[in-house]
Amino acid sequence: MYVRRRGDSLLRVVLLAPPLLFLLSMVVYPLLFGIRMSLTDYKTGQWNNFHNFVRATQDSLFSDAVKAIAIYVTVVIVIEFLLGLVLALVIYHNIKSGWLKALFYFLFLIPLVTPPVAAGVLFRLMYTPSYGIINYLLQMTGLIQKEILWLSQPAPAMFAVISVDVWQWTPFVFFVLFAGLQAVPKDTLEAAAVDGASGFQRFRLIELPYLRPLMLLVLILRLADTFQVFDHVMVLTQGGPGTVTQFLSVYIYKVGFKFLNLNYAAAASIMVIAVVILIFMALNRLLRIAEGGEANEA
Amino acid sequence: MSNFHTKGLAVLVLLTLVAMMGVGCRGTAVPATVTSGPVAKPASLTIAGVAGNEAKGIKAIIPEYEKKTGIKINFVEFPYSTLFEKIVTTMQAKQETFDLIMADDIWLPKFESEGWLTALDEKFNYQKDPDIFPVMYDAATWPPPSGPIIPGEENKPRHLYGITILGNVQFFAFRGDLVPKPETWEDVIANAKKVADPNKPLYGFALRAAAGEPSGMEFFPLMYGWGGRLFDDNWNVTVNTPEVIEALKVRQQLAELSPPGVANYDAAERAREMASGRAAQIITWPAEAADFMENPEVSQVVGKVTYSAPPKGPKGSFPFLGNWMLAIPVTSKNQEWAFDFLTWATSAEVQKTYALAGGIPMRKSVFTDPELAKKFPYFPAVAEAYEVPPIVLPRTPEYIPLITIWGNHLNAMVAGIETIEEGVAKAQEEMTAHLREAGYYK
Repeated sequence: MYVRRRGDSLLRVVLLAPPLLFLLSMVVYPLLFGIRMSLTDYKTGQWNNFHNFVRATQDSLFSDAVKAIAIYVTVVIVIEFLLGLVLALVIYHNIKSGWLKALFYFLFLIPLVTPPVAAGVLFRLMYTPSYGIINYLLQMTGLIQKEILWLSQPAPAMFAVISVDVWQWTPFVFFVLFAGLQAVPKDTLEAAAVDGASGFQRFRLIELPYLRPLMLLVLILRLADTFQVFDHVMVLTQGGPGTVTQFLSVYIYKVGFKFLNLNYAAAASIMVIAVVILIFMALNRLLRIAEGGEANEA
Repeated sequence: MSNFHTKGLAVLVLLTLVAMMGVGCRGTAVPATVTSGPVAKPASLTIAGVAGNEAKGIKAIIPEYEKKTGIKINFVEFPYSTLFEKIVTTMQAKQETFDLIMADDIWLPKFESEGWLTALDEKFNYQKDPDIFPVMYDAATWPPPSGPIIPGEENKPRHLYGITILGNVQFFAFRGDLVPKPETWEDVIANAKKVADPNKPLYGFALRAAAGEPSGMEFFPLMYGWGGRLFDDNWNVTVNTPEVIEALKVRQQLAELSPPGVANYDAAERAREMASGRAAQIITWPAEAADFMENPEVSQVVGKVTYSAPPKGPKGSFPFLGNWMLAIPVTSKNQEWAFDFLTWATSAEVQKTYALAGGIPMRKSVFTDPELAKKFPYFPAVAEAYEVPPIVLPRTPEYIPLITIWGNHLNAMVAGIETIEEGVAKAQEEMTAHLREAGYYK
């Protein structure tokens, strides 16, 4: 039986202190400092009756940024999630050759290890009218007659920034879900197949329950990440044309570091944190409900 | 006992937090004072500078100064977009890191109004030099000698806070082999229509219309040319006016005569169009002429481009100023030597070496030096633009946010997201809201 000794609690303090101090200095303190800033005036440093928050609700640039990021996050998450899942399933079930699998791993790793700024530069060159390869290929294959102005028109610009994210992060979804598929017992799948379950049924009833926690993880990580999208957007469009790709992070950066109103930027950031936390809670709840429903069925 | 340790941990956590909040909230009110008396020679001077070709000249003359004085010069380079942030954070923290800073002239109102720079006339009795264009001094004088003064700064004594190191002014470049010299913006449009040939392709103009500052800066010569202004003398925003709308219509025509996709063009893209022979006319800056049009490594039009002051609108020609200044932070411990370097680097003799090394100089005599004009064919046009004289950008620390807002709408007009009328109405509203927030209206 475990006997508590006097040294234990001291040891606990000693062991806990470093991570706790790290969290306090790197997470809690900046957050508190940010909240304090968001409640004060950027010129005088005085308390200003939630003025920064009120201003955000009336600021059309802020609402443009919210709209832009809502579109971006929704489209990016849906495409990356579905594409990553389909790729994982197709490769897991259809590619048997070891070296071919290794080749896929390698190819999927390239976008993941590319720095976002480099990815931005790469895509900026590819999307450039007149000498970019994308227009060239589309024209060569006869898909378009006139050049598409990828980075200077609203819908194509949004498409362009989304494409970089999808290129870079779909492999991440793929890797996580692919790893999850390895945990599904092969004999259960085979038994289901023998019993006449279709491919979709096998996926829904056997593989999906195994993948669900990983899906939640992937969604949360991707959501947190796409909300912060910044690097490649600055390289590709700098938020343009107009404010079409001026996502929240880009706008907050401009307010803080170009307009030098760090207090308003802090308020906007706090609002983003609040929204992201709410989304996470909702997501978590939804997936729990789904999980509970599945358990009841079983 | 365990309870004791839990409490101990909680106390530790609280104390750490309180200590950290204390550090963050500590007041930093006392400005560094300038010491006087015998000045020892420092081992080194540190300059915060911009990375890229703007630093070519200064980097070329540094070894000479080091040899002359034995003082090592650390030229710390930052990309344009981060240099401003770096200087601001260094100054706010009252760090002694930099003895000299290289600053875009639009940053000076922020630095000057915050009291971060040393007054050169007051501390060193700097005397103005007739070989330096007066507008260069105006741009570094605070409070500004003309135009509206920001609230709270009206009664400060007027002083000089920086000396131009890089004479940067807008001028005009056109293919002299294809089109005659355009005297007015109507001539520019007529020229553009005449030479336009989508099959070559050759475009009559290349407009810099990327979102934010690029669009804003490019539009100034047209806006002023038609009598438009960003604000009146009381800081009331005046972008939704018939004059500005008229100028925007001309700009829209120029956009249509430009290569497709100019809504994403910054200076480099527009200069590249000129250098590759795809554009016949552009508004330009000295660095573009040096790096693109007259650079045989990238240009197919060396010797074919003619340069002049910007064409005239109904109200005249309005080149804009975008000088790089050298200024001395009040926090520097080596101000006397920093000033020594500054006056040495801007002297006539050194400026010639500086120009020959590929730097953009700042002295009248250097721009008009026949030997240099042969090597750098755009120098006389730069001098011509300086004689116009150029307009100093609005003297307010709010310039960057305002031009960003304005430039975003200018960009949206070219991209077809907003009509001219929608764009000016929204810009008027947003810029006014910004200035209200900044305390410009009582």
